[in-house]
Amino acid sequence: MNKTLPQEYYKQLEEIQVADFVLIELTLYLDTHPTDTQAIEQYNQFAHYSKQLKEKFESAFGPLQQGSLNRTPEFWAWKSGPWPWQV
Amino acid sequence: MKSNPKTFTKVKSYVPYHSPCDPCPPIGRKYYSTPPNLYLGFQPPNLPQFSPIEALKRGTLWPVFYDFYENPYKKRAGKEHE
Repeated sequence: MNKTLPQEYYKQLEEIQVADFVLIELTLYLDTHPTDTQAIEQYNQFAHYSKQLKEKFESAFGPLQQGSLNRTPEFWAWKSGPWPWQV
Repeated sequence: MKSNPKTFTKVKSYVPYHSPCDPCPPIGRKYYSTPPNLYLGFQPPNLPQFSPIEALKRGTLWPVFYDFYENPYKKRAGKEHE
């Protein structure tokens, strides 16, 4: 039985990708500009936002990465569920 | 060479010397890309940024580094074989 994923899954995943991409760019920038306070503030803003997005996604669709919370106490969710290349 | 970031070209080309003893046909014009980061040097703070969604699509957060690649050989293929 192959259940198709809800559209919400892709939408939230893309939002996470957008936030994480900005984080990566800002990380690289801040490595060479450690005192740029405005960039640091933007980085923290996006880090917080990304954490929220991941929290929302994981509570709805399961763990995103190893080390994520296993939210179903009676079932090990990490092994199941569509893998990134199947999504 | 520090030049105003807006005056550089993103693709440059040269014609390698073709020796008469060279058995292969001449390559003609060869192209190489010169991305914006070459001309910017140390990145100044507070550069204008793309919106996050746009940044993911464009592959960079700052428009000044955006460098779309289109194959110069393909586009100029027509003129190549004059």
